[in-house]
Amino acid sequence: MNSHKLEYTRQEMMAIATGRELRDGELAIFGVGLSMLAGYFAQEHHAPNIRAMTEGGVYGAIPVGGLPWGIECNRISANATSFTNGVDALGFLVASGRCDVGIIGAAQVDKFGNVNTTGIWDGEIGEHYRAPKTRLTGAGGANDIACGAGRVLIMVAHEPKRFAEKVTYISSPGYLDGGNTRERYGFVGGGPSAIITTLGILRPNPDTKEFQLDAYYPFSNIEEIQSNTDWELKVCPRVHVVPEPTVDELKALRKVDETGALRKQ
Amino acid sequence: MPQPKLISLAAAVDRFTQNGVQYASGAALPIGSDAIVFGRELLRQGRNQLHAIFHCNSQQLNLLAGAGAVDKAECGFSGLEVFGFANGLRRAVETGATQLEDYSNLAMAIRLFGGAMNWPFVPATVNIGSDIQYRSAFSPEEYPATSKIPMITDPFSGRQLGAFQSLQPEVAAIHVSMADPLGNAIMLGTEWSRFELSRAAKKVILVADEIVHTDCMRQFPNLVRIPDIVVDAVVYWPFAAWPQSSPGLYDVDEDHMRSMNKALATEETTQQYLKDYVFSYQSHRDYLGMIGNETREKITQTETSFLMDPYRKWILSADEIAKLVLEGER
Repeated sequence: MNSHKLEYTRQEMMAIATGRELRDGELAIFGVGLSMLAGYFAQEHHAPNIRAMTEGGVYGAIPVGGLPWGIECNRISANATSFTNGVDALGFLVASGRCDVGIIGAAQVDKFGNVNTTGIWDGEIGEHYRAPKTRLTGAGGANDIACGAGRVLIMVAHEPKRFAEKVTYISSPGYLDGGNTRERYGFVGGGPSAIITTLGILRPNPDTKEFQLDAYYPFSNIEEIQSNTDWELKVCPRVHVVPEPTVDELKALRKVDETGALRKQ
Repeated sequence: MPQPKLISLAAAVDRFTQNGVQYASGAALPIGSDAIVFGRELLRQGRNQLHAIFHCNSQQLNLLAGAGAVDKAECGFSGLEVFGFANGLRRAVETGATQLEDYSNLAMAIRLFGGAMNWPFVPATVNIGSDIQYRSAFSPEEYPATSKIPMITDPFSGRQLGAFQSLQPEVAAIHVSMADPLGNAIMLGTEWSRFELSRAAKKVILVADEIVHTDCMRQFPNLVRIPDIVVDAVVYWPFAAWPQSSPGLYDVDEDHMRSMNKALATEETTQQYLKDYVFSYQSHRDYLGMIGNETREKITQTETSFLMDPYRKWILSADEIAKLVLEGER
């Protein structure tokens, strides 16, 4: 046994686990923040030919100086090979069905992978629309990615309040009511393939589309994850431990995360 | 022959806006290019009851809504990206002062595209099946909402699509890196939906960080995505996007992004912000002083400054521009 214990944060584990889902050569779109770090980590580490873009239509760029403040930030505009626009990136390359994979975040996610980033209400909204008690950021481009990308990775901190049986407001669709309900809408994209959290990885049951625990981290366990999930989280028969980040993976991630956004606990 | 269109910021707001106007900002997502100074001037001239069309929220909408000047807003993203929630907009929405109609970022862009084409609507397969389609802040009694994104049938395949109502804002203030006096403009960085907006809006005001000679546009005509024929006025205002960034010219002012957003969280601190950063300056010189020498020096040390290099020799001096503004306002 190696007695040396690798030091990394839960957020770094989540970013690396997300990055591992990306394959070389894919056309990929990243949202702002952690998802961007996960995506550019993959490019730095194992997917050098990933074709990365942001929804603003920034192509060929690798962030400099740390986590960009936004997807149009100068930190990502400093070495781009092409600047276009929203219709191009979110329309021609995502809504068209060309984009293989997208990474989005969530304030709240439910057991069918539906995402709420719009607001927190006290109870149900009711028949008559009313303003939320706490207004969040809205859907942004995540709805477009959730509808159009071949598959979607959802990154979210694993806390009970974020894992609801049913989200109050669907900002970005997952599998809606589960089963084949997503198919009714004729979306171009396939829906979320994984919810990657600070505690583990959830994947949809192929038939019911209900998200189940697929894997946990070296520092987490099944009970801890279930107690942090506000629905009765089922466990896959082949549930397993996610391999620890390697030295090379951490090195690549920290090169992208120059300002240590993921190391703040 | 196209005529010079340079006028002052105050004249642009006075001439092209009124209370209740449907006002669109031409920006690059939430923290990049945006004519935030146009929003400050709207408040300085007491404009209110605005119908704001912002592809994404920015500190401009955050400020306008926080100051109570926005009755209705339509947005894709309504936060401030890594700077967090937009406290001014958030407060206005939570108290009911602003009705915020939610769309996605692609939806806002194609609605402007539809406006530019003068089409009544544009079909798409985003937003459908989610509460963006089913819930309407403008028609709260409808559930599921039928007037916001109604379903239509593709006459060729029979497929169901969402219909997105086109937008033709009454007036747009579009931030650009550089414009010539006639209104030809080059945007560095993503143009986001500024191309579509420049054709969709009924009146277009460019707010430029630099004014360049028209020879610059003749050298790079492929990069001139906004030509003078769709532009009504040009305003010269260096650091117009502050505290946000303008690729090639300056980075985001991180400290002010945070302090501004913090101030907008309450009514009381918003009033103080308005006093200190909106009603406080009488000239562009005062405005630069308000940002501060040290800050300006810091944010202009941007990794993107090389992007401006090809254009520098055509930049007009402040004196040359001032003369053109005098002529333009005559």
